[in-house]
Amino acid sequence: MPNRLELSGITKQFPGVLANDQVSFAVKPGEIHALLGENGAGKSTLVKMIYGIMAPDAGEIRWNGVPVVVPNPKAARKLGIGMVFQHFSLFEALTVLENIALGMDAKIPSRELEQRIRAVMQTYGLLLDPHRTVATLSVGERQRIEIVRALLLDPQLLIMDEPTSVLTPQEVDQLFTVLRKLAAEGCSILYISHKLHEIKALCDTATILRGGKLVDTCDPKQETSRSMAEKMIGTGLKDIIKPEGRTFGEPKLVVNRLRTKKTGHFDVPVDGVTFTVHAGEILGIAGVAGNGQNALLDALSGEIRGEERDAITIDGLGIGLMDTTERRRHGLCAVPEERNGHAAVGDFSLADNSVLTARDRLGMVVLGLINSGAARTYTGKVIADFAVKALGPASTAGSLSGGNLQKYIMGREILQKPSVLVVSQPTWGVDAGAAAAIHQALVDLAAAGSAIVVISQDLDELRALSDTLAVINMGQLSAARPVSAFSVDEIGLLMGGVHGTEAAA
Amino acid sequence: MMQFRLEKRREPSKVMLYATPVAAVVLTMIVGAIIFSAIGYDGVGAVREIFLTPLTNAFKWQDLGVKAAPLIIVGVGLSIAYRANVWNIGAEGQYIMGGLAATWVALATHGMGGWWTLPVMMLAGVAGGAAYAAIPALLRTRLNVNEILTSLMLTYASVQLIYYLVRAPWKDPMGMGFPQTRRFASEALLPNILPGTIVHAGVPIAVIVALVAWFIMSRSVFGYQMRVVGAAPHAARYGGFSENKTIWLALLVSGALAGLAGMLEVAGPFQRMVPGFPTNYGFTAIIVAFLGRLNPLGVIFAGIVMAITFVGGEVAQTTIGLSSSATGVFQAMMLFFLLAGDILVRYRLKRVAPQGEARA
Repeated sequence: MPNRLELSGITKQFPGVLANDQVSFAVKPGEIHALLGENGAGKSTLVKMIYGIMAPDAGEIRWNGVPVVVPNPKAARKLGIGMVFQHFSLFEALTVLENIALGMDAKIPSRELEQRIRAVMQTYGLLLDPHRTVATLSVGERQRIEIVRALLLDPQLLIMDEPTSVLTPQEVDQLFTVLRKLAAEGCSILYISHKLHEIKALCDTATILRGGKLVDTCDPKQETSRSMAEKMIGTGLKDIIKPEGRTFGEPKLVVNRLRTKKTGHFDVPVDGVTFTVHAGEILGIAGVAGNGQNALLDALSGEIRGEERDAITIDGLGIGLMDTTERRRHGLCAVPEERNGHAAVGDFSLADNSVLTARDRLGMVVLGLINSGAARTYTGKVIADFAVKALGPASTAGSLSGGNLQKYIMGREILQKPSVLVVSQPTWGVDAGAAAAIHQALVDLAAAGSAIVVISQDLDELRALSDTLAVINMGQLSAARPVSAFSVDEIGLLMGGVHGTEAAA
Repeated sequence: MMQFRLEKRREPSKVMLYATPVAAVVLTMIVGAIIFSAIGYDGVGAVREIFLTPLTNAFKWQDLGVKAAPLIIVGVGLSIAYRANVWNIGAEGQYIMGGLAATWVALATHGMGGWWTLPVMMLAGVAGGAAYAAIPALLRTRLNVNEILTSLMLTYASVQLIYYLVRAPWKDPMGMGFPQTRRFASEALLPNILPGTIVHAGVPIAVIVALVAWFIMSRSVFGYQMRVVGAAPHAARYGGFSENKTIWLALLVSGALAGLAGMLEVAGPFQRMVPGFPTNYGFTAIIVAFLGRLNPLGVIFAGIVMAITFVGGEVAQTTIGLSSSATGVFQAMMLFFLLAGDILVRYRLKRVAPQGEARA
């Protein structure tokens, strides 16, 4: 039997980057094939060429043994290639059925379509009421719509792009059951991820990309997570050095019944959030995306001005009514999730970006004038200490890669030696080497006596980094407990909240 | 069929960013020559008269300074506001209100003025322009009304106010019925700084305003605030800059400078308020601000280029018989080429494969 999909010598050049360099591998019928690599390794580019969103500069794609050219996604679907994207394209105000009907290439009467949808859902256990509006569904349920949409076309190859980044552990298990069933029926699956334990649990073969080149094709069941990670980053992995048996100091950041107002239609406010972080402690806040993390960060940083002075206190001083500048003066720094356009200005030089948050704490302003020499010196220090790959303080933030920009931003805040640091997704899209460096810097900052809050969707990160852990769901925060007192299942159930039980039923 | 797509460049070339205005001027000259030849004029001659005669003829230099001064002052204010993404299109109205406020001071103190008259008129002009710009600021920050519409519409209201004032309350009793105010007393007129020419004190003031604005925009926290709010409003909020405060500052500063220009014009070349006082300096200054790359130093050069087209347009009217609207055509072409050039500096034009079915 010919291979379902065979790539040979696929090459794609972007201005300044060789995104894919002579990549060749094959996917057998019924195989679950992992495509593994760090952000920027070229995974997305490669699948975009398979799905017809981009054309390769060189190389050949064979489909069931026949060479093909895939000019656009419609042609890919016609061949039998389905894709579930990381970001869904759904209309919140429409029902499940309406959303699926809108995405179909062929016009099918809605009664017939509904029957086919119900049949697919029945077969794969993707239970969902076709008449519910999307706005009422959890993220896991929304992903099911995308899967059903792809399955309606009877694909022979299903591409899943980072499908579990938004799911609770229970939802991940349900998804794996569906994928295994599909594979057993002969549908090949190309599974893109950087979560190694998932790949070990699910996939038959793993193709590892690094810097656009294929470095290895291996059997993940024969490998350890560590050995695959090292192939992925190309060097040995560093562990976080965390002194055992650390003791915490006095309560530093105390948040008491903090709440925000709902601002937009899709904004999830926080309500009654209460927690305490001591000097030297790292509190992790876990949760599925879109459960109030953004509102919590903005309320802590001061971007959302509070109404109660004592809802947030640092060392006993109420800062709830202060704006971001005043809070920074009192030692609270924050890093939001979105880097470009929120934590940094892409069109500005790095030195100018340092002025954005460090101007008062580091005395970069004298009589209303900016001391640009001081800004350059400090930026140079951030670049050196955090190994930021940039030409210098005059490079624009937008010219840095995502990971390097994140290193710069984290460095900019950490080197200000804040007494309280609140960060969201500190290592999102950052390569493993840089992530380890950022983690170590956070641990060191805590060891020096700062209180740190880390908001993240990456449970592995939180379990490695935090001393205490709490879970946010629908704007409400669970009680914080020592991280060792949680099992993964328990965290998963808390992350799912009410939605999780509903989905499991 | 061939298809094209705009693709964002990774980092726009700094050289190109400054070469675009020059290219826009050159393209305007070339295309202008072709267009006016095509409709039966001496196209090359028209371009020569409009762009070169004002530079080669030393008698025209004083005209250039006098025309450029208000354009530079208003353009500097607009360049500050536009940096912050605050689109004040009503500088013409603020310029008029500045002129009217200064006129009021001049008429009220007529016959009892002194050395203080001009400074007070200047303050009144600044206040008048700023106050008029405060209306769009208030509407934008309180009710989220788009400042483009309000500032533009307020311009037409201010023109009507001139007509009313010069026809009734401020009408010159000795003016033989002409709708205009009396000529200002000598203390209320700008001194000439070069004897025997028409160059008044407004010319050096314009240069000083631009230099001060350049220093503030590049070195101060105020300038940083304007730039960061315009470039990334979300990041500005994170950095502790209030968006509403920035809108207020941007409109007040640009309004104040437009008002200052109005005062300098009424106390300088006009010497009295007349219905013909609005000469579109406020609108032309929009082109000046963009041609000057929203940089106060660039605005000085852009102001001079625009003044050349005004002065040259008048020359071409007499020598080639070109209509006065020709100046407008040249100015509009310059803005068009400039904006188009900007797109190409930031994006590259890329040919894409036409859409089609899969070929097996």
